[in-house]
Amino acid sequence: MSNNKSNKSKMLYTFFAWLISLAIFFPILWTILTSFKTETEAIASPPSLFLFDWTLENYNKVMQQSPYFKHFWNSVVISVGSSLLGLLIAIPAAWSMAFIPTKRTKNLLMWMLSTKMLPPVGVLIPIYLLFRDLGILDTLGGIVVIMTLINLPIMTWMLYTYFKEIPGEILEAARMDGASVGQEILYVLAPIALPGIASTLLLNVILAWNEAFWTLILTTVNAAPLTAFIASYSSPEGLFYAKLSAASTLAIAPILILGWFSQKQLVRGLSFGAVK
Amino acid sequence: MLNKIVMAMCATCVLSLPVIGKTLTIATVNNGDMVIMKELSSDFTKKNPGIELEWVTLEENILRQRVTTDVATKGGQYDVMTIGTYEVPIWAKRGWLNPLDKLGENYDLDDLLPAVRDGLTVNGQLHAAPFYAESSMVIYRTDLLAKAGMTMPTEPTWDFIEKAAKAMTDKANNVYGICLRGKAGWGENMALLTAMSNSFGAKWFDERWDPQLDSQAWHDTVEYYVSLLQNYGPPGSSSNGFNENLALFQTGKCGIWIDATVAGAFVTNAQDSEVADSVGFALAPNKGLGKRGNWLWAWSLAVPASSKKSDEAMKFVSWATSKEYLALVAEAKGISKVPPGTRKSLYANPAYMAASPFAQITLDSINAADPNNPTVDPVPYVGIQFVAIPEFQGIGTAVGRQLSGVLAGQMTVKEGLARSQKLVKRSMRKAGYPKK
Amino acid sequence: MATNNSKTLARMMVTPAVILLLIWMLIPLGMTIYFSFLDYNLFGDGENKFIGLLNYEFFLTDPAFVDSFFNTLILMTGVLFITLVGGTGLAILLDQAIYGRNIVRIMVLAPFFVMPTVSALVWKNMFMNPVNGIFAYISTTFGFEPIDFFTHIPLTSIIIIVSWQWLPFASLILLTAIQSLDREQLEAAELDGAGKFCRFRFMVLPHLSRAMTAVVLIETIFLLSIFAEIFVTTQGGPGNASTNITYLIYTQSLLEYDVGMGSAGGLIAVVLANIVAVFLMRMIGKNIEG
Repeated sequence: MSNNKSNKSKMLYTFFAWLISLAIFFPILWTILTSFKTETEAIASPPSLFLFDWTLENYNKVMQQSPYFKHFWNSVVISVGSSLLGLLIAIPAAWSMAFIPTKRTKNLLMWMLSTKMLPPVGVLIPIYLLFRDLGILDTLGGIVVIMTLINLPIMTWMLYTYFKEIPGEILEAARMDGASVGQEILYVLAPIALPGIASTLLLNVILAWNEAFWTLILTTVNAAPLTAFIASYSSPEGLFYAKLSAASTLAIAPILILGWFSQKQLVRGLSFGAVK
Repeated sequence: MLNKIVMAMCATCVLSLPVIGKTLTIATVNNGDMVIMKELSSDFTKKNPGIELEWVTLEENILRQRVTTDVATKGGQYDVMTIGTYEVPIWAKRGWLNPLDKLGENYDLDDLLPAVRDGLTVNGQLHAAPFYAESSMVIYRTDLLAKAGMTMPTEPTWDFIEKAAKAMTDKANNVYGICLRGKAGWGENMALLTAMSNSFGAKWFDERWDPQLDSQAWHDTVEYYVSLLQNYGPPGSSSNGFNENLALFQTGKCGIWIDATVAGAFVTNAQDSEVADSVGFALAPNKGLGKRGNWLWAWSLAVPASSKKSDEAMKFVSWATSKEYLALVAEAKGISKVPPGTRKSLYANPAYMAASPFAQITLDSINAADPNNPTVDPVPYVGIQFVAIPEFQGIGTAVGRQLSGVLAGQMTVKEGLARSQKLVKRSMRKAGYPKK
Repeated sequence: MATNNSKTLARMMVTPAVILLLIWMLIPLGMTIYFSFLDYNLFGDGENKFIGLLNYEFFLTDPAFVDSFFNTLILMTGVLFITLVGGTGLAILLDQAIYGRNIVRIMVLAPFFVMPTVSALVWKNMFMNPVNGIFAYISTTFGFEPIDFFTHIPLTSIIIIVSWQWLPFASLILLTAIQSLDREQLEAAELDGAGKFCRFRFMVLPHLSRAMTAVVLIETIFLLSIFAEIFVTTQGGPGNASTNITYLIYTQSLLEYDVGMGSAGGLIAVVLANIVAVFLMRMIGKNIEG
């Protein structure tokens, strides 16, 4: 009886969950489908969901026009590079804030986060002048540094909330055994904190991948990532829905796939101290 | 094998001495004609061994923001920039562009259409070479107009446009008599409205640089525009730009569309347009005051002063805007795909005139455009659908937002124009006008 | 327990991050403050005269300033509200035993990976377009007048787009929090006769508060500076209906290349953002300590 009831509710929940998640996913699905249509089919009314002549024409055109793989590689270097560099700086900072807090720790943390609130449009020209004078316009190095700085506050904060949940006694014990700080971080802290570090890394890869303001303004050819690739399709002349969809699909596919494969990792570390 | 080693050595040489490298970075918009240029550019690299091309293709607004930042800060990221009639005189006066004095002997400057050439000439020297040029015109559905029992005069008036739009509107079947730009922006709704206002006898500034947006003539312009679109236009007009209207027209949802002459090639292209065989063209409408509401714009290639490869860049500019290039496109893509509006010789070519039903109207519209005397009354500025001062991007967009608000029904025409007037006054005061 | 030794060490370890952020903050900030007092236009004659507070005066007396200030707040609170409420609902739903949970979770998560520009373009052209969009098609099919999104409800439309992007993030974090809930306690409460609402209100919700503050904090940082979505869809219009502070700075400065104005606007935005930050700190401070 009760089994029957729970089965029924499971069906009901399943139905609603699928309904809602399909609705949420629909815009992406639609974009992917549209990318296989011709331009006229793409704006046809009534729209057709699956029954149309599937074509790869848009992908051909898009790939022909811009070097997709170069942009793709730049995106990888920028997002992974800046996230790794960020971790390198953020881990020690978060470690010390979590385990050796001072009176100022909280303010320091808040100050860090508030640096993220400087609107990019306001400081665009100063940064551009700075980059020009340093000769790092359109270099991967320059853009990695900027992306690191932009995401550093969030990384530090995420790691801090994660580290705080680790009982200090474990570290005490290690210290008693004569472990140095380096060993402490490497052998004791790192294994426990790994999920937190992994999800911090992933979240920042995603954020850096999607950042479209600085990456557009500070790059031209050599360091231009996928955001620049997509910027040429936002409103060309003529019908463009299908080509836009193809370019969009190409731009989001890598990070979408990464996100799907790593979603378990992402979820485990995103607890922000909520998991006791 | 040896070859490979030499190549590798060369590559390291180039890396260590980047100034000698002959890679040109070209910034351009993602319009059909530019895409063809990119495709055919192997012809240039073949003829000019040692020069390589890198392309940066961006959406118009992003491109403008990007290249302006670079040219104004002398960032030196680009060797060839695609810019328009608005930027060229301003940039040239600031010394940001190299005069195009090395276009080669066969370039034939006199073959350029005079109106287009004038707009790109500063201090007697060409500062950007026109790649393609456009004016604006009336594009309409011949079948719908015939059904309404009317015929389009070659020089329609605004009154006729209103009557025709009314007769063609059939909202039940998703057919709207008129499609016009409504999206806020100095190059969007304000391009149309400014050009239109010229024919209504309005102007942005009087000779003392006092803003004139609260004048009766502006009031008439906006009143007419808003009532036309609200009565016979498609829903969502206030966010429609060139592309949105193009999509509407191509799918048979517009009766009349007044926009850039380049649209002629798109709406008559049977591959993309459902109405390709029933499209007619006419000159931009007038109000009987002696000015017609047609603009002039030339997408042009310029070489920034900060480029370190100016000579090579000019070679490229010369190639892309030459008669030979037009012939190359005609051969590779068909005569109707040739970038329009720049050279007299193209319009003297019977094959082109026969293949493009919009060619004559395009030529007439461009020839009739006079950026130096855009308005009925004399004004201190140059430019038809814009005012060629640096401040115009900002004030044009601000006013464009107000007028899109009027179109959306947020405020009355009077309120919208009063607000606009106030905004422009502020900005002009800030910018130090009237200049002594 | 912290000895002097470990305190020095702590300082050393925080130092790189602090110094880097100080540089990142102070150099542009210093330049911005300096520029904000100048008549500095990239198109200008290069004199860059000192003009005192004129830039600030112009920015603050801009008729669009008050509108954009409130639009920023509405945009922020609107998205926060939708993502928190929707995210909690979704998290609870996803926490149930359902068939194909992994696929469902993947689909819910997906919008977070889409670049803001792309999602704005897709929503604008393929969904919200009043003639060719899918919403228009659906409403005409059922005999309704299509909603003209960007004309009549521009700010709401942007809120919808942005919420779609951030809903996955919120539901993900809230789901993680729910999963860490003590099941036995919940079951005990159920046996004691506590109703569903009761259990949610007094057991689930308090447990989620911390995750919620994390969501609020991170989202706020991004929501305050929304730009791409407005740039792509409404250009801040019609009127000032969808102009936020960031977009106002863009139109006031970047469009005219008025570096002085942009700098002044940027600084004002920083001050406003910090007021919000102080507010948030009060709210979240407890949770960071606790």
